[in-house]
Amino acid sequence: MTVTVSLTGRRRRAHVGRSLRIAGGITASLLFLFPVFWMILTSFKQQRDIFTTPPTFLFTPTLETYITYLQRGIIPYQMLNTVIVAFGAGIISIVAGSMAGYALSRLKIRGATFIGVLILMSRGVPPIALAVPMFLVGRSLGLIDKHIILILAYCTFLIPYVMWLMRGFFMALPKELEESAMIDGCSHFGAFFKIIVPISLPGLLSTLIFCVILAWEELLFAIVLTSRNASTIPVAIAGIAGDTVNGANWGALTAVGTLTVIPVVIFAMLVQKWLIQGLADGAVKG
Amino acid sequence: MGSVRIDNARKSYGTLEVLHGVSIDIPDGEFVALVGPSGCGKSTLLRMIAGLEDITDGTITISDRVINDVPSKDRDIAMVFQNYALYPHMTVRANMAFALRQRKFPKAEIDRRVADAARILGLNHLLERKPRALSGGQRQRVAMGRAIVRDPNVFLFDEPLSNLDAKLRVQMRSELKELHQRLATTTVYVTHDQIEAMTLADRVVVMNGGRVEQAGKPLDLYDKPQSLFVAAFIGSPQMNFFAGQVHSPDRLTLDGGVELALPRSQQPLTGQVTLGVRPEHLILSESGWQATVSVVEPTGSETQITARIQGELVRVVIAGRTNAGPGDSIMLSVEARHLHVFDTASGKRL
Repeated sequence: MTVTVSLTGRRRRAHVGRSLRIAGGITASLLFLFPVFWMILTSFKQQRDIFTTPPTFLFTPTLETYITYLQRGIIPYQMLNTVIVAFGAGIISIVAGSMAGYALSRLKIRGATFIGVLILMSRGVPPIALAVPMFLVGRSLGLIDKHIILILAYCTFLIPYVMWLMRGFFMALPKELEESAMIDGCSHFGAFFKIIVPISLPGLLSTLIFCVILAWEELLFAIVLTSRNASTIPVAIAGIAGDTVNGANWGALTAVGTLTVIPVVIFAMLVQKWLIQGLADGAVKG
Repeated sequence: MGSVRIDNARKSYGTLEVLHGVSIDIPDGEFVALVGPSGCGKSTLLRMIAGLEDITDGTITISDRVINDVPSKDRDIAMVFQNYALYPHMTVRANMAFALRQRKFPKAEIDRRVADAARILGLNHLLERKPRALSGGQRQRVAMGRAIVRDPNVFLFDEPLSNLDAKLRVQMRSELKELHQRLATTTVYVTHDQIEAMTLADRVVVMNGGRVEQAGKPLDLYDKPQSLFVAAFIGSPQMNFFAGQVHSPDRLTLDGGVELALPRSQQPLTGQVTLGVRPEHLILSESGWQATVSVVEPTGSETQITARIQGELVRVVIAGRTNAGPGDSIMLSVEARHLHVFDTASGKRL
C-alpha cells in the first residue's frame, strides 16, 4: 500500500513538472509569435484601424494593401530576386562550406585548426567594412546590380558559417564509415558524396535553412550592391519604412513583411519532413 | 585468395616510432590473430595492411604484390570494423552490394553473391532492413556479409566482437571459425582478447610495445611461452609467478624458502629467476607448499581457488569441486615438467 502511495506521489510530481514545462513552452512560443501574429493582423487592416487606441482585434479585413503592392510589380520582382539570391548563396555555401568543413575535419592538413579559426575570424569583420571594397570590385567587374554579386557577397559570410557547423557535424561521424567506403572501392570524394553527404543530410538541410534565412533578410549588401534589377525584399521594406515624404506606411510594411515570411516558412516546413526522416534513420550510429 | 608478407614494417608518427620493424609471414588461407594489450601496435599494423595508415618503412606484400603505395580499394581486401561501420542510410542488401556496385559488377552477379552471403549468414529475412533496425549480432553478421560478398584476397578483422555481450560473442566466435573453415580465406584478426585469439586462430602473434613478442600455434604459445610477457598474457586465469634463486643446476629456492626440483634445461640455470606455474598445474596434495585459501569460486565444471603462500597470491584451478573454504589450509604441489623458468632480468625463457 505504501509503495502505491509513493508511486502515485512520484507520478503526480512528474505530471506537474511536465505540465509546467509545457506551459513554459507555450508562453515562450506566444511571446515570440505574437509580433508575427500582430504583423499579419495589421496587414489586413485599413489605415484607420491600425492606429486605434486601444489596439483592436476586431475590424473589417481588407486585401487592399496586398493588391496595391502586388500590382505595382516591383514587390513580386524583388521577391523573385530574393529567392534567387538567398537560395543561390545558400546552395553554393552548403556545397563549398561542407566540403571545406569535411577537409578540415578529416584530411591530414598541417594547421587545419588554425585555418578553421582564421576562416571563422573573418566572420568578425563588420560587414560595412567589406561593403565598400566589394562595391568597388563589383563595379570594376561590371557586376553591380546583378544577382551574382549579391550571391558572392553572401557567400563570404555564409561559407565560414557552414564550414564551421559542418566541421563539427563531420567530426562526430565515425571515421570508419569513410574508411570502409574506401576499402569498398570509393575515392575520398566518392566516400564523401556517397556515404557522408547522405548521412549528413539532416545537418546539411538545417544549415541550409539558416543560410537561406540569413541571406533572405540581409539588407546592407543588398542596398550597397544593387539598385533596381537585383534589389531584394529587405530593400523594399527599408524603402517603405524610411519613406521620408509620406511617412512610414504601416499597412504596406506589414503586408510586404507577411509576404516575405511566407516563402521561408513554406521552405522550412518542406525541409522539416526530411530533417525528421534523416534523424529517425539513426544516421550517426554505425 | 592470397598470402600476406609483412617485412620489417615500421610506423612512426613524427619522431614517435610505434612499430619497430615487424615481420610476419601469413601463408594463403591461414587465420592469424594479432593479440596484445592496448597500444601494442596491432590495430596500426592491421590498418597498414588495409591501406588506412601509411607504411613508414619496410614492405607489405599481398599475393606477391608489394602494396605499400596501392590505395585501399585496389588491395583486394575486405575489412570488418569494431563498430561495424554499416552505412546507416542503406538497407542490408545495399550495404552488402555496395562494394560490388562500386566495382561495376553485373546486377545478376551482385544479386547472386548477396543471396549466397545472406544464406550463409542467415540474413535472408533482414535484407530490406536498415542497420538501425538490427540487433548487435545481426549488424555483426551484415558486416561479415559485406566482407564475404567481395570474395577478397584477405579478410581483415579489427576487434569485431568487442561490442557484443559475452553470450553473443561466444556464438559469433564459433560462426566466424566455421566461416573461415568454409571459405578458407586468408584472415588477419586483431583482438585484445587472448581467448578469442586462441580459439579462432591457426597462428597467434603476440605483440608488445610495437614488436612481435612471439608467434606460433595457440597451444605452443600456451605450453611454451618464450617470455614472461607472453606467459602472463596468454592464459586465463593468468599464470602464477614466483621469484627465486637457482643454487644448483636442478634445484630452485623460492624467495619464501621453498625448494623445488627444476625441469631439465638445455642450458645451465643460474642466478635470479622467475618461476611460472599455470593455475591448472597446481594440484591439491598431501605435501608441497602450504597455502591459505582466500576465495573459492565454483563454476560447475571446475573450481577456481585464490590462496596465499607466505603472503603471495596464487590462483589454482581444479577440475570438479572442493570442500575447501576461506581460511582453510591446503597443500599445493606441481610437477617439474609443468614449471616455466624465466630469467628475471631479461624476461626470456630459460
